[in-house]
Amino acid sequence: MAITALKRFTSGSTPVVLLIALLLASLYLLSGSTQNSVLFDRFYSLLLGINILAILLLFVLIGKNIYSLFRQYRSRATGSRLTTRLVIMFIILSVTPVSVVYYFSLQFLQRGIDSWFDIRVEKALGDAIELSQASLGIRMQELLRETQLMAEKLQASPDELVALALNDQRSLTGAAEMTIFTTAGKIIASSSKDMEKLIPQQLADTTYMSINQGQPDIALAPLSEKALAIRIAVELQAQSPLAEKRILQALFEVPERINILADSVQTAFGDYNELAYLRIPLKYSFILTLSLVLLLSILTAIWAAFYYSHRMMAPITDLVEGTRAVADGDYDKRLPLPGRDELGFLVHSFNEMTDKIARATNTARINRLEAEQQNAYLEVVLAHLNSGVLTFDEQLCLHTTNATAEQILNLKLQAYHGKTIQQMANLNPRLQQISDMIDQHLTNNDHEWREEITLFGETGRQIIMLRGTTLPHTVTLQGGHVVVFDDITNLLQAQRNAAWGEVARRLAHEIKNPLTPIQLSAERLRHKYLQQMDAEDAELLDRSTHTIVQQVETLKQMVKAFSDYARMPKLQLEPLDLNRLIAETRDLYSHDEEQVIIQLSLEENLPLIEADTGRMRQLLHNLIKNALEVVAKKAPLQISLSTRFVEQHGSQYAEVRVIDNGPGIPEDMLGQLFEPYVTSKPKGTGLGLAIVKKIVEEHGGIIHAESLPNSGASIILHLPVLNNPTVRTEQTEPETGTKSDAVA
Amino acid sequence: MHSFANQINNLSTRHHRIGGLILAVLLFPGLAQAAGFTVRSVETRMQDEVYLVDTNLQLDFSEEAQKALQSGIPIIILLDIEVEKLRSWWWNKTVATLQQGYLLLYHALTEKYIVNNLNSGAQSDYTSLGATLSAIEKVIGLPLIDSGLLDKEERYRLKLRVHLDIESLPAPMRPLAYVSSDWQLASDWYTWPLQR
Repeated sequence: MAITALKRFTSGSTPVVLLIALLLASLYLLSGSTQNSVLFDRFYSLLLGINILAILLLFVLIGKNIYSLFRQYRSRATGSRLTTRLVIMFIILSVTPVSVVYYFSLQFLQRGIDSWFDIRVEKALGDAIELSQASLGIRMQELLRETQLMAEKLQASPDELVALALNDQRSLTGAAEMTIFTTAGKIIASSSKDMEKLIPQQLADTTYMSINQGQPDIALAPLSEKALAIRIAVELQAQSPLAEKRILQALFEVPERINILADSVQTAFGDYNELAYLRIPLKYSFILTLSLVLLLSILTAIWAAFYYSHRMMAPITDLVEGTRAVADGDYDKRLPLPGRDELGFLVHSFNEMTDKIARATNTARINRLEAEQQNAYLEVVLAHLNSGVLTFDEQLCLHTTNATAEQILNLKLQAYHGKTIQQMANLNPRLQQISDMIDQHLTNNDHEWREEITLFGETGRQIIMLRGTTLPHTVTLQGGHVVVFDDITNLLQAQRNAAWGEVARRLAHEIKNPLTPIQLSAERLRHKYLQQMDAEDAELLDRSTHTIVQQVETLKQMVKAFSDYARMPKLQLEPLDLNRLIAETRDLYSHDEEQVIIQLSLEENLPLIEADTGRMRQLLHNLIKNALEVVAKKAPLQISLSTRFVEQHGSQYAEVRVIDNGPGIPEDMLGQLFEPYVTSKPKGTGLGLAIVKKIVEEHGGIIHAESLPNSGASIILHLPVLNNPTVRTEQTEPETGTKSDAVA
Repeated sequence: MHSFANQINNLSTRHHRIGGLILAVLLFPGLAQAAGFTVRSVETRMQDEVYLVDTNLQLDFSEEAQKALQSGIPIIILLDIEVEKLRSWWWNKTVATLQQGYLLLYHALTEKYIVNNLNSGAQSDYTSLGATLSAIEKVIGLPLIDSGLLDKEERYRLKLRVHLDIESLPAPMRPLAYVSSDWQLASDWYTWPLQR
């Protein structure tokens, strides 16, 4: 608490006022001391002490200030350099004139005090003293003679009467006091003009010596402060040799007029001597006082320099720190107003500026937040769209995509952001087709366009519907293009499947009904007329009816196949070991080993799949049959069946690959291979692969075909596996090995 | 003296110079005797139920002080006496203080030293400074305190010192007097048990 009080005291303007007061007191003291005033004579030491204390206090304050400024300077604190410059300037401005005045004052002081003293005055005063002594000396000689005469008279008086005689003699001569002493100093008799004075003047120390030497003692003695007296002591001769010696001392007053003059001379001489003695101390004292005043002035000036530098610098320092804060992005900084001057105006302007900036940034922040919210909203909308969305800016660089787009294109589109369409196509050849088309429309500046495109990739044929729109060029939108696309493969497939299903149902219904009467009629014809006809006709009839029956049978099978395709029974899903099923199916074909070689390349750790066993068996039969039918003419027939566990794009599935050494698939058929009645084979219903595809899709899988480079074809199907993490971790990736086996 | 100093200065080596200085001190013992005030003895006695003090002081003026006195500067010598009650567990308590002042003045016209007892106003004059100081040095029968004012159960002691009063010097001399040993003329406190 005391420290804070002291801090408040030293930081306020109180010390300045106090020190100025001390300075003035010190100045007053100087003038008072010069005039030798009684008042300051008494307080001289006290004032001196106070001033020295003030100087020490100032030294401490200044030392503290210098130290803190030095530390600030070293740490390169804000404003320390300017403060240092200001302080140095103030100090130079204040110290220089004061020092000059001090120097000349010292010179003046030395000469001034020396000029008080004049050797002639000193001599004259000395002479005046001598003259006074000489003039009193004459009087003293006269009085000595008188006293000696009295002594002769008193010698004769006996002791009993000596007091009376003494009084008579004193009255006669006009002496102020007469006393008779023994040589031991004992008073025998005394007479005084002043009745009130009880104790007579004692014998002086010199008197005894003079009397002992037989000389009278004559002396001027100061009776009181102003009054002089002539003191004469003579020996009283003893009447008898045995009687002891006596001393008569007489005091004579000096006449009033002479007394005044003598006192005047004495005072003047005394004062002059005193002053002469005090010449050096006076000089020292004046120099001391002057130095004190100088020191106080300089130190106060230095302190004031610090004080006002700090006060002047405070708003500037504030401004500097405020500017830094603004530069660092803190716009809430408000500076205290230092006053109503130009600095105050500056600080006020600064506050206004930061206020405006703060408001502006706040608005910008709110706008940005709104924009972000809108963006987020848009992203959410885009993410939940079932269509893929790509937007391009004016430079035709990819700007926005959504998750569906990635899903349809089976690509991570993050890497393509900011790339132009052509760059995207260069990075991934699969995008070439799309890129070319979009590029074409964009460069043509088509405002609205829609187009269907067929892609061929790992997952087979993909039909994509693209719609493009040019975005308007407004304040908030920079223009650009948006492309929305959908994978309509499944849609088309479903439509086609539905159509085929309808055809199959109708066929089954419309064709199956007349087939039985046709067959029955043909058999009846044969049965009735065959025996009646001649051999030639009979043979014709037999062949014709046989053909009819046979073809009807074939038609029935076909209708049955259609019927099967149109309404397959409901799936009965259960965990299934695909490898085992494949091995079982292979065994069914092992009897005609000579024409068919079925190679198996099965992955040991293939996880179970969830499937309908009957359907899967049908699927495998269809695939093998298809391969058999394709390569019917050639021998030997080689079929390779392989399974593999594949983990791709975060999904796991079992891959089944059927490779034959047939003629391969013609390029134009590759797209519609799995549609009903698309076949290049010499025999078969044309529904085998369509049924395979239907079964695969019922199980959530996909199927596609590849034509091998040399000869043969490969049909690949992917079936989702059961979620069984233990199997997944154990599995290895023997991809290359199995594949090479299969091809060989 | 001056020629002697010159002789010393003429000695070339430092050792000789120091030796010379020692010789000078031996030859002039008066120079070695430092100026100062001392309380030589104090005695108390009781007379008519009043304690009286007899003391013997030694007052040696410095040359500077003598010179100042002869130049007409008045000098005051103060004799401070205190009576203290002795306390075991606390500071002693001062029960009485007494100050005796003597004003010394040189009267140029009569060439005499005047001593003015500031307490009684009695004035006496002397032809030499020695006689003047001798007159002050012997203080006999100075009444101190009435015995009735002292508790008979307690123990008391006397403290006494003599000093030159710097504050009474002319103002210009004081700053120098406060720092110069020439003017620091003061005895130590002399303590003496108060005799019953």
